[in-house]
Amino acid sequence: MADMSSESASASAGIDLSQFYQVFFEEAGENLDSMEQLLLALDVEAADDEELNAIFRCAHSIKGGAATFGFSDVAELTHQMETLLDKLRRHELKPTTQMVDVLLQSGDALRGQLARHQGASSVVVDTSALVSSYKILCEGGTVDLKAVAAPPPPPAAAPAPPRTTTARLLELRVGPLTDMSLADNLVELFKEITDLGTIEPLDAGTAADGYRRFKVLTSSADNDLLDLFTFHVAREQVHLSAFGPGFGFHEGAPGAPEIVEDKDPGYGFFDDAPGMPGAGASGTTEVKPVETQAVAAAPKAAAPKAEAKAASMDQSTLRVSIEKVDQLINLVGELVITQAMLAQNSRGLDPGLYQQLSSGLADLERNTRDLQESVMSIRMIPMSMVFNRFPRMLRDLAAKLGKKVELVTQGEATELDKSLVEKITDPLTHLVRNSCDHGIEMPEERAAKGKPEQGTITLVASHQGGSIVIEVRDDGRGLNREKLIKKAREKGIDAPDSMSDAEAWGLIFAPGFSTAEQVTDVSGRGVGMDVVKKNITSLGGTVEIDSAEGYGMKVSVRLPLTLAIMDGMSVGVGEEVYILPLSSVVESFQVESNTIKTVAGSGRVVEVRDEYMPVLAIEEIFAVPRFDFEKTSNIMVVIEAEGGRVAVLVDELLGQQQVVVKNLESNYRKVTDVSGATIMGDGRVALILDVGSLVRRSRH
Amino acid sequence: MSTSNVPALRPEGALAAKSQAGASGGEFLTFRLGAEEYGIDILKVQEIRSYEPPTRIANAPDFIKGVVNLRGVIVPIVDLRLKLGCPTAEYNSFTVVIVLNVKNRVVGAVVDSVSDVLELAKDSIRPAPELSSSSVDTSFITGIGAVADRMLILMDIEGLMSSADMGLMEAAVAAA
Repeated sequence: MADMSSESASASAGIDLSQFYQVFFEEAGENLDSMEQLLLALDVEAADDEELNAIFRCAHSIKGGAATFGFSDVAELTHQMETLLDKLRRHELKPTTQMVDVLLQSGDALRGQLARHQGASSVVVDTSALVSSYKILCEGGTVDLKAVAAPPPPPAAAPAPPRTTTARLLELRVGPLTDMSLADNLVELFKEITDLGTIEPLDAGTAADGYRRFKVLTSSADNDLLDLFTFHVAREQVHLSAFGPGFGFHEGAPGAPEIVEDKDPGYGFFDDAPGMPGAGASGTTEVKPVETQAVAAAPKAAAPKAEAKAASMDQSTLRVSIEKVDQLINLVGELVITQAMLAQNSRGLDPGLYQQLSSGLADLERNTRDLQESVMSIRMIPMSMVFNRFPRMLRDLAAKLGKKVELVTQGEATELDKSLVEKITDPLTHLVRNSCDHGIEMPEERAAKGKPEQGTITLVASHQGGSIVIEVRDDGRGLNREKLIKKAREKGIDAPDSMSDAEAWGLIFAPGFSTAEQVTDVSGRGVGMDVVKKNITSLGGTVEIDSAEGYGMKVSVRLPLTLAIMDGMSVGVGEEVYILPLSSVVESFQVESNTIKTVAGSGRVVEVRDEYMPVLAIEEIFAVPRFDFEKTSNIMVVIEAEGGRVAVLVDELLGQQQVVVKNLESNYRKVTDVSGATIMGDGRVALILDVGSLVRRSRH
Repeated sequence: MSTSNVPALRPEGALAAKSQAGASGGEFLTFRLGAEEYGIDILKVQEIRSYEPPTRIANAPDFIKGVVNLRGVIVPIVDLRLKLGCPTAEYNSFTVVIVLNVKNRVVGAVVDSVSDVLELAKDSIRPAPELSSSSVDTSFITGIGAVADRMLILMDIEGLMSSADMGLMEAAVAAA
């Protein structure tokens, strides 16, 4: 175990965290989109708790990801949003349209920040106005929306950035535009904000190159202007330069040097990106031709990052909706069945006469198999994709909290459906964070309790009983039953003393439930477990908690095999075919009926190498009709699950094959002892036995 | 769709009745179960297939014949003849499966034969008579359609298929 952890730790050191950036950006983008939709749909007068919770979760997820990847500006702003939203969903504040506006603007600001981190934009988004308005809103105050409406203009309290007091003449080029009237919005903007300055169009507005040119007299900094303009036109389409004859730039022209000075220090650069030649770049901008200066400086500074980005883009990924892949898989499944049928029908043909046909069919068979395998592999990815995120995250987290934590991972090679991996990542992240933040104690505390100073968080993935089980274990302080129940009552949750431990542990899944005394950047708002439960339940899975106070806790996430491929062993009983998961098959052998003994008149056992095992006859469990009474079940397959073994009686072993697990419940309902179904080569459906449930059945 | 002024623009008679039917009655797929003729809302029907032996599901009620593979989707098959208490339920070359789409689920219903698609005006639908049948639940009969000398038993197939005693769906889904 120790070896494994050190291995995974060293592996993580070599891992470029940026491989996960893209995932984060995509997720954050989706979260922002859904937050915006929710905000827009929010009825301020009668806000639905569920909606507020959902908005909160969006912000929380973005914050979590941003903190993991070290995008502190994003985390900071989302933290503020979260604080406000938390007050809303606790009904400490009543939602107002103003709040919604500020939240929406924050969403835009976050997009800007994310774009900058992605290298797609160079605008440093100033969020100080937003941040301060959250502080006011959280105290129940109101904010002057005008001040917030244009995020970059400094709030009254914030120190004003250096700006020239004298008016400057600038040339503004907007374009290329598809709709020329967009530029007119800028003129309107100047009318609305009177102290911005004056604007005059320089051309008739029908320039052939798609550009509109304006003469702007202003005392505002370029930065502020650009940010204002971006309300109407895309940032890349705005070009500001000193106004000079012929639109060119002449060194020494009045106004030109000022522009450079006026700029915020570090404007256009990734000032938090390491190794950025900030000073050098700003030095070069001064002599750049005016037109490109604002724009060109940024890409230049961004170059190293952009290159890295491009490199990772080379091994590019394609995000395709799962439905499309599912459709593909279904089609391939149909193809396989058709191919099997053709092969069967052609068997009776004389190979001499139909040589070409049979060789064609052989090719078809091979190609079909290859196609099926490749299509299937689209969806399957190893758990290490998820687990690899954690070492780094934990290290940072432990350092922040002053704790010593070791991460042990097992079963990284367990393959999981892509859709499941995507959906399980967030819940697992929450669980690991929770373990580190709440579970693992401070080193001194651990030493005082006689535990090793270094806490251990163990992640285990395995296939079990037709499910995938992912465990997050820690050897921390565990859960305190009394504290949980007390807290639950404070929250107005019905929590009788008589509730079982399992029920008490389940309390932490209630929305807004947190036993942490302090709300931290890491966790403690109680949103994590709520999200975990919700996400996992939506996947048709379950979460179980086991804990012993002082010794740690274990969260087991059990997910059904929705579309996992499984190695199966097909067995025949009567006329029917059933599939046993090959991973749970231990051995099989032929038995004489007299070796099966009854216990207490009902249960039957068989002796296998000095071990007595319960016997289950498939024929009886599934009430298989018999047409051929000569035949009896005399093959025994020993299966193992959940730490138990049973011997299953079947008629015959038909073979091993890879099967696609299909959900019975999507159109039917849960069937006892059956975990799913699959389609056999002849197009018939075969049921997959739930080994876990069979083993449990033998225990009762 | 407002039809109030439509009949006025058209000649009286069959045509007018037909246009009203589209608005209130609707189109029904008719099929036979033994000697009886039934009609169900055509919009619930996904397709019609010939019967193929399904994979039996253990310990299911006898009218659930099992599951079949419908282009990669596992679909349960219900024999309506057994469910609705027909004396015989034979499986021959005329036996067909009506694949239904109810509550976003796909279910196959075995019937003796499919007849045709009929458009029924609202005024040709009579309320369902009160039947005191102990074995068959008649609450899913929405009305009796009279077409010439035929009598159609109109059925709320969605309600029937999602009813609890059908056992096709988990309680939560059926209630949704």
